[in-house]
Parts: sequence; C-alpha cells; structure tokens
Amino acid sequence: MIKRLQQIAQWFDDRLHLTKLFESTAGHHVPKSSGSWFYVFGSGTLLCLMLQLVTGTCLAFVYVPSADEAYLTLEYLTYQQPLGWFLRALHYWGSNFMVGIMMLHMAQVFLFGAYKYPRELTWITGVLLMFVTLGLAFTGQVMRFDQDAYWGLGIGTAIMGRVPIIGSDLVHLMLAGPIIAGETLSRFFTLHVFILPGTILALIGVHLRLVLAKGINEYPKPGVVVKRETYDQEYEAIIKKEGVPFVPAAISKDLVFSALVMFAIFTCAAVFGPKGPKGFPDPTYIQTAPQPDFFFLWVYSVAALLPPYTETFVLLVGPVVATLALFALPFISNTGEKSARKRPIAVLTVVVSLLALSLLTWAGIRSPWSPEMTAWTSDSTPAAFLKGRSPLELQGALVLQYKQCRNCHSLDGIGGERGPDLSRIATRLTRDQLIRQVIQGGGNMPAYGKNLSPAEVEALVAFMLTLHPSNVPPVRDSTIPAQAAL
Amino acid sequence: MRFFCRENWGQQLRQATALVGLLTLVSGCDWMPGKPKPAERWQPDTAITDFANLYQTQCAGCHSRDGRMAAARPLNDPVYRAFVDPKIFRQVIAQGVPGTTMPAFAQSAGGLLTDAQIDILVQNLLAGAESDRATLRLPPYRAAPGDVQRGAVAFQTFCAKCHGKDGKGGPTGGSVVDPNYLALVSDQALRTAVVVGRVDLGMPDWRGYVSGRPMTDTEVSDVVAWLISHRKK
Ligand code: HEC
Ligand code: HEC
Ligand code: HEC
Repeated sequence: MIKRLQQIAQWFDDRLHLTKLFESTAGHHVPKSSGSWFYVFGSGTLLCLMLQLVTGTCLAFVYVPSADEAYLTLEYLTYQQPLGWFLRALHYWGSNFMVGIMMLHMAQVFLFGAYKYPRELTWITGVLLMFVTLGLAFTGQVMRFDQDAYWGLGIGTAIMGRVPIIGSDLVHLMLAGPIIAGETLSRFFTLHVFILPGTILALIGVHLRLVLAKGINEYPKPGVVVKRETYDQEYEAIIKKEGVPFVPAAISKDLVFSALVMFAIFTCAAVFGPKGPKGFPDPTYIQTAPQPDFFFLWVYSVAALLPPYTETFVLLVGPVVATLALFALPFISNTGEKSARKRPIAVLTVVVSLLALSLLTWAGIRSPWSPEMTAWTSDSTPAAFLKGRSPLELQGALVLQYKQCRNCHSLDGIGGERGPDLSRIATRLTRDQLIRQVIQGGGNMPAYGKNLSPAEVEALVAFMLTLHPSNVPPVRDSTIPAQAAL
Repeated sequence: MRFFCRENWGQQLRQATALVGLLTLVSGCDWMPGKPKPAERWQPDTAITDFANLYQTQCAGCHSRDGRMAAARPLNDPVYRAFVDPKIFRQVIAQGVPGTTMPAFAQSAGGLLTDAQIDILVQNLLAGAESDRATLRLPPYRAAPGDVQRGAVAFQTFCAKCHGKDGKGGPTGGSVVDPNYLALVSDQALRTAVVVGRVDLGMPDWRGYVSGRPMTDTEVSDVVAWLISHRKK
C-alpha cells in the first residue's frame, strides 16, 4: 500500500519537478546563525494565516452575509452545528494569535536591523502585510455583526468622519451608505473573504520572493556595520562559509514554535471558546457596553482618553505620521549597526510602543470611563452603609440609586468607575462642597442642578456625610470654628 | 542528510496519516470547556423570564434581597406580602410612585420591562401570600389618614421610645418628622412602614411596638396623619 503510494508520488514528481522546486525554495541556503529562536515569528504568522484560510473557508460554507441572517447563522454555528463553535473559536483565536505574532515578528525585524540595505522592500511589503492583516482583523469583527461589531465599526467611522472635506464621502464608501446597514455587511464580506485575502496572498508571494532573493538576515553582531558597497559580498561569504539549507537545518525551531502556536490556539479555542455573538446589532439598544476586539481596544482607549480638543488632530494626523514613518524607516536608517546592543533608540522605541500599547489595552479592557448602565437598579447599597442611618439618610441612599449616581460611582468598589468611589467621601468633602459638586457637577460629572429637588439634595448630602470609616472623622469646614467639646 | 527527498517519503506519509488520525480523534470530542452553553446565549433584556435574574437586575439595587439590609423595604417580608394589595402592588411596579424614588418599570411608562416580565415579578414576589393574609388579620392596605391629635397621642404610646418624644430622633431610631424625609416618601409608604415595620432595619410591625398590644386600625391611620402633618406645605 505504502509502496504503491510512493510510486504514484514519484510519477507526479517526475512530471512536476517538485523536489527541484523544493531545493530552490525551502531548501535554499541561509546563514547558520539565523537558525535562532528569534527567527521563528515570520513562519508562525504564516502558519496562523493558513489556519485562518482553512477555518475561514469552512465558516463561509454556513455564513450568510446579510443583515438579517448573519447573526442567525452565527447562532446556528455556535449552538447547533456540532463543533461549529470550535470552528468559530479557532478562527477567532487564530486571528488574535496572528496579529500578536506578526507584531513580534515586526519588532524582531526592527530590533535586528533586518530592514536595512538590501532588504528595504522586504520591510515595505511587510508593513503592507501588517496593514492588510489588521484590515482582515477589523473586517472580521464586523462579520460577527453583533453589538460589538457595530461598535467597532462605529469607532472606525467616527475616526474617518473627522477627515476634513471628504470625511462623509469616506464614511459612505466604507459603509456603503451613511449608516451601518445590510449593504455595509456585504461590503465588508467582500473585503474580508475576497479582496484582503487575495491581497495578502499576493503580498506574501512578494515578501517570500524577496526573502529568497535577498536572503535571511544574518544574526547581527555588535560592531559589524552594514555598508552599501560591501554588504552583498559579505553576505555571500557568510552563506558560502556557514550556509545551511533552510529545510531541514534551520527550520527545526520554526517547527517547534509553530507546533506551540497551534497548540496554544487549539487550547485557547477549546478552553475559552468563541467570542459572542453578543446581541443583535441594534443602535437603539443602549443597555450594553460593547467592546471592540482585543487588538483594537487600544484605539478605543485613545479615543476615550484624549482631551476632546486634541482628538481630531491626533486621530487623523497620528496614523498618517505613523504610516509614513514605517515606510520611511529603511531609507532613514539604511546602513550602519544592526545589533540591538548598539541601537539604544531602537530598543527604546520598541519598549515604549509596547508599554503604551499594553497600558492602553489594559485600560480598554477595564474601560472605567463607560458608565455601568444597570448599576442603579442592580447594585445594592452595601449594608454597612445603611446600618443605623436615619430615615432621611436612607432616602439619600435611594436618591443615589435613583439618580443613577451609581452608574458612575462605586460604593465599596461596586458600581461604575467613571467617577471616584464614594465610600469615604465625607473624609474628603464638606457639606457645602458636596452640594456644589452635585448641583454644579464638574470634571466629567454632569451638573444635576434643577434635576434634583431641594429635598433630594438634602437627603443625598445627609447620606454622603455618613460615608466615612468610624475611626476617621468627616472633614470639617474650616470657616466654622471647631467646637471645644469635640 | 536529506529531509525531503524520495528515499524517506514512505516514512513521512505514515507520519502524516497518524497526524490526520489524531486530529480526527481530537475533533471528535464536543465537550471542551470553551463550548458556549445555551444558557449563556445572549438575549435581549425583554426576553428574560427568570425571576431571580429580573429581581437582581431591576430591583436589588434598592430593595433588599434574601433579608439583607437595603435602603428600600424588603419585598419578601412575609408580613408585607400579606399586607399589600396585589392590584396596587402590580400598579406600583408598572407605574412607579410619582414624587418618590420608586421608578416606573413598564415600557408604557418609559421603563424597560414588558408586561409579561412585570407579571413574572408579581407572581413570584407574592406567591403564597394568600395563606398569610388569612391568618395575620392585618389593618387594611389602603386607608385615609386619621386624626392628627389622636395620632400625636398614639405616637407617644407606640413610637416615642425609639424615635424620640417629638419624633425628631431617639436612641434607636432617626427623625421621622424631618420635612425633607417626608417630602420624599408617599403617604402609603408611611402607612406601610407603620403596619409592616422594617425587619431589616430593626423596626417591629404593628403588633410589636408595645408587647401584647397591637395597634388598632384607627391608631395606624391616626399616626400616619400625624406624620403627614409635619410635611411642609
Ligand atoms: C456620568 C457619570 C457621573 C454621574 C452620573 C455622577 N457622577 Fe459624580 N462624578 C463623576 C466624575 C467623573 C467625578 C470626578 C469629577 C472631577 O474630575 O472633578 C465625580 C465626582 C463626584 C464627587 C466628588 C468626588 C471626590 O472625591 O471629590 C461627588 C461627591 C459626586 N461625584 C457625587 C455624585 C452624585 C451624588 C451623583 C448623583 C446625583 C453623581 N455624582 C453622578 C461622574 C459622575
Ligand atoms: C431606585 C430605587 C428603587 C428601585 C430600583 C426599585 N424600587 Fe421599589 N420602591 C422604591 C422606593 C423608594 C419605594 C417607596 C416609595 C414610596 O414612597 O411609596 C418603593 C416601593 C415599592 C413598592 C410599594 C411598597 C409599598 O409601600 O407597598 C413595591 C411593590 C416596589 N417598590 C416594587 C419594586 C420592584 C418589583 C422593583 C424591581 C422591578 C423595584 N421596586 C425597584 C425604590 C426602588
Ligand atoms: C423598636 C424601635 C422602633 C419603634 C418602636 C418604632 N420604630 Fe420606626 N424605625 C425604627 C428603626 C430602627 C428604623 C430604621 C431607620 C432608623 O434607624 O432611623 C425606623 C424607621 C421608621 C420609618 C422610616 C421607614 C422607611 O422605610 O423610610 C418610619 C416612617 C418610622 N420608623 C415610623 C415609626 C412610627 C410611626 C412608629 C410608631 C408607630 C415607629 N416607627 C416605631 C425603630 C422603631
């Protein structure tokens, strides 16, 4: 049986010359030093893409890209189709891992100076690949067409809409109309399954062709500088002296890493499952706090944290500058040191970007700036804050619920986090300051003014003045002389 | 050493078959922890029919759950459940109590709950209250306020030991004549408080103020009238 298969395979090889093709591609010689654990991220990203293509094709068998049916088909996949949920989970986690590993790949290439002469084009196609990958991730979350998708798209359109003069036309182009509707889904479906995957495959072709043509970057040594005049001979010498075929010599680490990535994706999919679908996309439905996918959380944080007057500028100019910088990089620093040990600025850039992204993502996960819409009816006033309170103070606790202060303010850590926790508010503010805060608002707090009756203000303030630990007295108004007896 | 060459294809084919077999085996299991449970399936809030969930998300912020202390009265207090008029009970949930912090929940009144959901709340909150109603012999839920003068006397008898002689607060109870307090509660809430008390806060019911001497229907109405008389007009 095996023998027969072998014969068939040989018959084909004699005609297709696959082994020869193999020798000139996968078998090409690479510097021995590039068989390093730092060089595994590129193949890892490629592997994720393969997984995405396979799982994505399977999903497309069931998925119907229409506003009415998209959500239903996802529900069908998730709850009825055997292992349909697992397929969705694989595609979701595959996408997370692909973006993550791609970022690692990029950081590594940057730190190892691999973008320098003569690999400028490899870097540029890499940057293009990054944009296409992010495009796939973004259009992918729209495919879910639930509230999160709606929201993710909302942020995108809001940023686009800020572009001067052509803003609304851009939004129209993206959404196939002024608002998110069925046409939007068709448009994004086409992007997600035809245009972007096609582009990414073509770009990967060029990217890999360049890798073959210009060779894999040797492991940089501090002190060895790239010179345009001599580099090509030097590289050739390295390959001659210590070149090894990529397969099998250098690929073993890639394989181990790929196996780990696969294992991680399958485990995440099996343990955490797919994301959503979370609720039919209904713009009138406000009792929800939708969140975009993981890798766009930081954009969401930026949009939420920027002071309003800088928003337009930062959100429009920022991406343009960043993109230009990425494309210009191999020309700005075309030669010279490659080793990260001799390039402190490069290291600093990576560390700072990474730190900023993780902090913003973390902030996005907690998203303390979005009020908790249901806190006022669901988060009880902790019993410790009710014990021994007078009827008026109890009414104050009720006003605090009723006027939805709890949506932004927590008591004992429970409730919204947009404003400060009020558990110890009496140790910070006096009666007059409390009244002023409630009536006039301030910072990001709305002014309640006429929306509170005098009795409601009295009750609220009476309640808040009881909010201090028994061993810490409330603050006193310094304009009232201290009483001798106290 | 050659990795990918004609000599060892046979071995590679064997390995590939084993791998495919393994994958098939793995994917045969549909029990993994990440599998979404139908119960966690997203549904619009109007489709929630689970009483515990409804109560937790809509009422627990103000009304106590399972006997815990809360700012507004516990709705599962057996005395209260026997006392309240089911029709008015439903109406309060649907329409709220204007002028107080009890919101209206019916969609027709600007709330988020459907009529069916309100029915679920009413049925579950009042389930089994009938039998208590028969045994407890409570004063009527609704009654016009009585006589203020007589109410002042009754207050001294039943309430002063906790809320103070003038009602402005005593050793174990706060002021019940504070005009700001009275501006925020309805007459019915006062009546309910006098009859049912507040188990969670340590206020007894109409039978327990003076031991062995429950308040009469008139006394209840009179005390309520006296409390109301302290409202600022
Ligand atoms: C939309 C969200 C929001 C709502 C609703 C809201 N607040 Fe605030 N509140 C804030 C924010 C944000 C701050 C911080 C203001 C600042 O930066 O100065 C704040 C500050 C305060 C402070 C001062 C806290 C301190 O530590 O200095 C008090 C007191 C307060 N709020 C009470 C209330 C009360 C009472 C209500 C309901 C009547 C209420 N808030 C409703 C967002 C809110
Ligand atoms: C924002 C706080 C708040 C929320 C949320 C709230 N209530 Fe109330 N509720 C009150 C207050 C305060 C009163 C007393 C009103 C008055 O003065 O008559 C009250 C009164 C009532 C009464 C009448 C009590 C009586 O005197 O007979 C019922 C019944 C009731 N609530 C049911 C509910 C139910 C059911 C829910 C959830 C769907 C709910 N409430 C949610 C604050 C609240
Ligand atoms: C055993 C002591 C005690 C007695 C007797 C008593 N109360 Fe209370 N009452 C309390 C406590 C405790 C509270 C909870 C609030 C507080 O601590 O002030 C309270 C609360 C109240 C409230 C506010 C309830 C709410 O939900 O807002 C009213 C009104 C009230 N009492 C009226 C009366 C009246 C009228 C009487 C006499 C018929 C009376 N009380 C007798 C202890 C008592």
